[in-house]
Formats: sequence, C-alpha cells, structure tokens
Amino acid sequence: MISPRILVRTYLSPLIGTTAWFLQRVTGLLLLFYLLLHVETVHQLSAGPAAFDRAMAAFKNPLFRLLEIGLLGVVILHALNGIRIMVIDFGVATRHQKRLFWGLAVIAGTLIFIAGAVPLFLHSVMGR
Amino acid sequence: MNKRIFISRSGGDGKRGWQNYTLDCSPELTVLDALFAIQQRQDPTIAFRCSCRVGMCGTCGLQINGVPALACKTRLTDIVDKDVFLAPLPHFTVIRDLVVSLAVFFEQWRKVLPALRSRDPESKELAKIPAESTYARNTPGKRDCITCGLCFAACGILAMSKRYLGPAAINKAFLRVLDPRDTAHEERLKILNSSHDGVWRCHTQMNCVAVCPKGIDLTESIGLFKRRLLLKNGELES
Amino acid sequence: MSRNALAWYMQRITGALLVPLLIAHFWVEHFMNATLMRGDLSYEVILTRIANPWWQAIDISFLLIALYHGLNGLYSIVLDFGKIGPRGANITATILVIIGVAWAFWGVMAFHNL
Repeated sequence: MISPRILVRTYLSPLIGTTAWFLQRVTGLLLLFYLLLHVETVHQLSAGPAAFDRAMAAFKNPLFRLLEIGLLGVVILHALNGIRIMVIDFGVATRHQKRLFWGLAVIAGTLIFIAGAVPLFLHSVMGR
Repeated sequence: MNKRIFISRSGGDGKRGWQNYTLDCSPELTVLDALFAIQQRQDPTIAFRCSCRVGMCGTCGLQINGVPALACKTRLTDIVDKDVFLAPLPHFTVIRDLVVSLAVFFEQWRKVLPALRSRDPESKELAKIPAESTYARNTPGKRDCITCGLCFAACGILAMSKRYLGPAAINKAFLRVLDPRDTAHEERLKILNSSHDGVWRCHTQMNCVAVCPKGIDLTESIGLFKRRLLLKNGELES
Repeated sequence: MSRNALAWYMQRITGALLVPLLIAHFWVEHFMNATLMRGDLSYEVILTRIANPWWQAIDISFLLIALYHGLNGLYSIVLDFGKIGPRGANITATILVIIGVAWAFWGVMAFHNL
C-alpha cells in the first residue's frame, strides 16, 4: 500500500530537520539519565575498595559493555549535532544545514563511533 | 503516463480516508492540473483550493507525499515516488478534503503587528531608504512572502505547540523591525522575545526554509533576531 | 539582555565546554595513569587522583556545567510541548533549579566521601 517513507513523512515529520531535533532531545534525555546513574555509581565507590572491585567486576559483564558502546554512540550523536546547531545558530553555512547533518553528525559521528567502539568491543571480547 | 493519485478525503466530520484515482496524463502536468483533470472527468466532489495557478498567490498549498508544497508548482515528474499522495496541510483545521482553514496562521501573523506603524502617517514626503541602510541590505529576498502557510505546516515545533508564532510571522516582524519608518519596535520585540511564542521556540530544524516556495531564508531572519536579542536588546539597526 | 536570550546563549556555551571536558574526562579516567585495557584501574589510582584539589575542581565544574546544560535542555523540551502556560513555565523552572541544586550537592558529596 503506502510506502513507509511516505507514511512517516505524512504522519510524523516531513523533513530531516525534525528528525535531527527529535534525536537531539532523545539523546539528551538519555544522557541526563546516564548522569544520574554515574553519580550514583561514584557514590557507591565511596564505600571502600571492596565495593569498587565488585562494581568493576559487574561492569565487565558483556551487557554493560554493549550499553557502554551505546552510550558512546549517543554522546557522539548529541555532541556533533549540537555543534551543527551552533554553526547554524551563529549564522555560518545555513544553506548547508542538511549536508552538515549528514556529514557531521552521521558520517563523522559514525567514524568516531567506530574508532571508540572497536577497542571497547575487542576489550570485552578478548577479556583483557 | 499512468499515475495513481491518492487523495485524502474527509467531510469535516473528523473521519479521513484515502481514495485513489488513476490518471492518464502527460508528465509535465502539475499536481494542480491533475486535480482539475480528476475533478472534471472522474469525481466532481473533490475539494481543493487554487487561484492564480502560477505560484504567486499561495492558495494551493497541500501535502504532496508528506512534504508541504504548492500544487501549481509541483510537476508530476518532480515526484520520485511511484504513487502520489495528496493530503491537506498539517497543523491547520481541515474543512474538507484538501481544503484547510489558515485561521491559526493569521492569528499568529496578527500578533506581530504586521502593518507598518509609520512615524508620520500624515507625511506627504516620499520615504527614502538608502541602499546602504540595514533595511536595504538585509531584506532583499525576505519580502516575497505570499502567506501560503507551507512553513507553518512544515515546522516540527508547530506540530507540538500551537503557541509558536511560526517562521512567516517572525520574518514579517523582521521586516518591520528593520524598517526605519516604523515605530512599533518595542511591542514587536516583546512578543518575539516571549519564551513560549517567540523566536526562542525555533530550534533551527530549517524545514521552513526547505519548503518555502519563494526561497526565503526564514531561519536566517529568526537567527538574526536571536543574536540581536542576545547582544543588542533586539536593536537590528547596525 | 533578556533571560531567554541568556539561557539560549548559555546552552551553547555549556555545550561547547562539555566537548573538551568530556574528552579530557574520558582520557583521564581510562587512559592516563592506568589503562582500562590493562585492567589496571584500581581504587588506589582513583583515590590518589581525587585527593588532588585541582582534579576535584575540574570534576565538580564538569558536573555543574553538565547539569546546567541538561536541565536547561529539559526546560526547553517542556516548553516545546506548548501545553503549559507562562505560570507553568515558571513553576517548571523553579522545580528544575531545585533538582539541579540537589543533584549538584549529591554529586559533590560523592567526593567528600571518597
């Protein structure tokens, strides 16, 4: 029937700008949530070296590693899209905003993500 | 060529559905031509708006395969998808089929005091605007707004909140605030600076720029306001 | 300068500051004294670093800047929904400030305890 692309465009968002805005908010909320967990973890560590070692052992769990890689992706997307927004806001290259999104946030973002995620992944797989 | 055209039908009772038509036509036809052809030969009951048919009046705005566009300026060959889906512009009340009411657009338009409040309404002197003035330098390309409402329909912020003024109204305010003949700057800046309705609700999605049939850089106008409200209390004259 | 203009500007300034802070934080924690790869990151390493008041200052600044950016962003999201009026917006802002102060306090306490 109706192609998914047209459905999405008609009922959700016509153009890429809304997607970028939406992603920025979703990743922002996820990062706020992460900050909560992070401060909580640091608090836990104040319980002493035994608690620290236990926590570190828990974080070696492959699920945690996967989440960490996910976190890296979220941070990169939010940061690079944020830079793109700043560039547009300060009046530079507004004509190129779509190219900025695809180039900066997506391509550069993917490259940085791979650069960060591969060592993390190898580390968890090799167990070193 | 044979083109399948799906038209969103509704009777104003809230119920909407797609009705499809097949049209055998030449590819240079515009969507508006196609609508006329369907209305004349297949289904006289479909409702749509138009006036000038040449992209000057802004009346024939609708959603073509999810993107707000003018029906008279969109050729069937411009549409890459196999089928054509025509829906009424989002963010407006649907009256019937493809006809919407632009009332909310003009409500926001009026809030920025779009009319010139002249310094001296009784003056018999011709207004002189030098070519080096800020107004003359910054406004070419911004004055062509035909109030078609496409930017209003495309804005992702307006999808969530009807309080936002919208790109067209802010652009109009931009023209007025820059105009050396105008005296209502303070009132306009107040509403533009409002946290709920004004320029701060723009998040540079730039859908408005993508759909404007007159190629107005709306985000630039809004951005200039943001930077000036930041640095010079809104004073746009350099 | 209006409050809204300032908040808009600060969101960008804090955002820009967070990029180098984050990179530095990541490098310091995972690569500087002991690499996570070698499994060397131990309690003592962290404790030694945290004892230094300069590091404490940097970490606390990082937290405060991130909190401002995040909670200001949250405020923006609430306003974007458009369902709350100006009074609702003021209430939201107050609540977020309270949350921010409490969160900052809680974060700083983590240092105190270590």
